[in-house]
Amino acid sequence: MKPSFKLDAHPRRSHPPLSSPPAGYFDRLPSQIMARLPQAEARDTAAGGGWLGFLSPALRTGLASVAVLGGFAASFYMSGTPQLVPATASTASLDAVPRTELVGYLLTSGAHVESADLAVLTAAHPGIAKDFLHASEAELNEVLDSQPSEELTYL
Amino acid sequence: MEDHEILLKFQDPASRSLAFNQLVRKYQSKVYWHVRKMVIDHADADDLTQDVFVKVWKHLENFRQDAALFTWIYRIATNECLNFLGSKRRKFLLPLTDVGAELAAKIQADPAIAGDEIELKLQQAILRLPDKQRLVFNLRYYDEMPYEQMAEVTGTSVGALKASYHHAVKKVEDYVTRNTDD
Repeated sequence: MKPSFKLDAHPRRSHPPLSSPPAGYFDRLPSQIMARLPQAEARDTAAGGGWLGFLSPALRTGLASVAVLGGFAASFYMSGTPQLVPATASTASLDAVPRTELVGYLLTSGAHVESADLAVLTAAHPGIAKDFLHASEAELNEVLDSQPSEELTYL
Repeated sequence: MEDHEILLKFQDPASRSLAFNQLVRKYQSKVYWHVRKMVIDHADADDLTQDVFVKVWKHLENFRQDAALFTWIYRIATNECLNFLGSKRRKFLLPLTDVGAELAAKIQADPAIAGDEIELKLQQAILRLPDKQRLVFNLRYYDEMPYEQMAEVTGTSVGALKASYHHAVKKVEDYVTRNTDD
């Protein structure tokens, strides 16, 4: 008959006969663990984060996402509208002023009309020159050719 | 350094890291072997031991000292082991015996046990126990931990632990008797 195994009769060990961890393992382990610890500053910030500290992590993440998206939306609307408003507003406001008053203002204020002003005017009213400029294409080219063409003009 | 000194220094932010380093050095070997006996593989034991101490760091401020420090650390380590083995089983949809067989294969491949047939059968028998019963067996047989302390670690009554250990010993003895040559 096979003898029955008795645990009490077996030599007792402090742990199973497993291979030892690599040499120096317990010397390295503390530094590895210390490197994995969350920073104390971060923990203090999270703990003392005021009302945010009472929110769950998922809620905090959601709130941050909404804030970022809201920021993008706000910056989009705020940067988009100023480009449209000045052109239409300035044109509309000038249109509302009677022409005689405009002429009187230009003659008495000493303001100089520059090329840039004319460029804005023709951009707002493309056919504005037809009323007073009765010149053929050949005549325009002749006048332009007679102008001095200094290099500085193109710089 | 005594536990109460470690805890006192841990409360001071200036000496917190130093105190925790002392704590790790004091208990790392015990925690490692407690975990290693449960998961067998060194790499798994290494990961879990680190996880245990990171959790200790996170919760040590709230440690109420109604139990000994090491009992508390043992409880964290025990929960980590049971969670690890449970998640492994769920991940691979393995029944209880297959995880035991996997651990038994690992221990059979371990050079430290080569040539000792009785010891090998004993380890195989232990690894066939359900996780919680194996934990009870390890705490009592290898660590020789008093039942009262085991009750604090596992959150189980002393009577239930005694019964669990008694059944575990019977299972182990039966397995070794049946599976060894004359």
